[in-house]
Amino acid sequence: MRVRADTALCVSTGSCALTAPEVFDLGEDDGVVVVLVESPPDEQRETVGRAVRACPAGVLSLAP
Amino acid sequence: MNRHTDTPAGTELLDLPMPEPRTCPFGPAPVYDRLRAEAPVTRVACPTGLTAWLVSRYADVRDVLGDAERFSSRPGQVVHLMAHADPERPIGEGEFTRMDGPEYQRFRRHMGPEISSPRRLAKLRPLVRAVVDERIGALAAAGPPADLYQDFAIPVTTASIGGLVGVPYADRDLFHTAASGVFSDVTDQVQLAAAVRPLQGYLFELVRRRRVEPEDDALSRMVARAPSAEPPFSDVELVAMSAVMLVAGFDSTATALAHGVLALLNDPGQWARLRDDPSLVPGTVEEMVRLFGGGAGIVREATVDTEIGGRPVAKGDYVILAIQSANHDPEAFPDPGRLDVARDTEGHLGFGHGTHQCFGQQTARLELTVALEALVRRVPSLRLAAPLADVPFKTGTSVVGPERVPVTWDEILPAEGEGP
Ligand code: HEM
Repeated sequence: MRVRADTALCVSTGSCALTAPEVFDLGEDDGVVVVLVESPPDEQRETVGRAVRACPAGVLSLAP
Repeated sequence: MNRHTDTPAGTELLDLPMPEPRTCPFGPAPVYDRLRAEAPVTRVACPTGLTAWLVSRYADVRDVLGDAERFSSRPGQVVHLMAHADPERPIGEGEFTRMDGPEYQRFRRHMGPEISSPRRLAKLRPLVRAVVDERIGALAAAGPPADLYQDFAIPVTTASIGGLVGVPYADRDLFHTAASGVFSDVTDQVQLAAAVRPLQGYLFELVRRRRVEPEDDALSRMVARAPSAEPPFSDVELVAMSAVMLVAGFDSTATALAHGVLALLNDPGQWARLRDDPSLVPGTVEEMVRLFGGGAGIVREATVDTEIGGRPVAKGDYVILAIQSANHDPEAFPDPGRLDVARDTEGHLGFGHGTHQCFGQQTARLELTVALEALVRRVPSLRLAAPLADVPFKTGTSVVGPERVPVTWDEILPAEGEGP
């Protein structure tokens, strides 16, 4: 599983970072999503999936 | 005006349905059940004179909110209800809630780290806990009964957002007064300006002071980061951002808390479930926001000739998204009117959806969670002190909810780490 982030769309709601803090963070200076782990382990699939769906702006997607 | 809806969808002009707490204290006006089924995208006349499309199904509301290119926020969130709102007036400096695209993102990204980052929220939690414990202590000292809205919810959310931004509790009247102007449906432009001006003057001063003597608060950090933004933020913009946080940040959350606790106490089985298993609190908070969030609905404007749910909508048409109706759509949430503390609420629209989704949602969640956890733990015997039918609801405001929540209790337990 690979995480993709189209950061141009980010509106800084922090939902991804709060849902899956091991995988996402919110930049302290620019307020833009930071992907901490690009290929998270499979056991995090459910949490990462929820984080991706929690983004209201369609920034995040998952590739196999 | 013709109120019949039994002709083909959208061929008649319906009056915009308004909240009816007397008949439906925990949901949208009953007519929405029929609109979703028969006229999901229909023409309405609003109290402000605006004519718009009213969209009531979950799938359609979510589609429109999720597509800022076809549906702009330019008219303003609640121009369908507010006498002072003019969808065509020019956008003021720093009035980001009516902007779209990169111009808009610049604001959200400047505020995001202060209000939405896991680090910030972890630091905010002890502040909110202290405020909540202090307020519950005050309820204990005064003894029952009390009004959970004015005596608990409003002070808690006021102190929390003030503490976050950096405005002392003693100065709260400034943003309370501004908010009563902004959210009242009868204030005109002149009255609105008068209600907001003292807050703006105060914040201008505060911005200047924090630039010279920064403190550990959101305003100081936003001021410090302002010159490195692209383009740098002006003082007018900094004032606008902090004013919005304060004005939008207390009654929204206090009303959701009061409304939610009212619903829980009205359904003692659900309250007992929560008391027995406080791990259900965060899910309950989402359920409260699903049930009550966005009660006033929000407005967009079509930027192109397009369609919603198969119905043609012309460029320049106004569209009202009935968020609460969407969240009560049985296609999205089974038995939608039922308060269920263990419900799967994923995808609810109580904070909106798309790029303009509530920017205070993480602080709202934090405040609601901490407050509800403390109430179920410290005041397990909490109950309504009046029948539901006697609970008054607010009128004349876009923040829909109870005006008072009379409660009583047998005993209040000490705060954690506090002696009995
Ligand atoms: C339970 C409490 C709350 C609810 C139900 C709520 C609901 C909403 C909704 C539905 C929207 C979407 C508007 C749109 O799409 O045009 C919104 C936007 C907004 N909310 Fe909240 N809100 C709450 C708490 C807060 C708090 C605590 C703050 C401030 C700290 C806040 C500040 C805002 C602002 C500034 C916007 C406009 C965002 C934009 O246009 O970019 N809200 N809120």
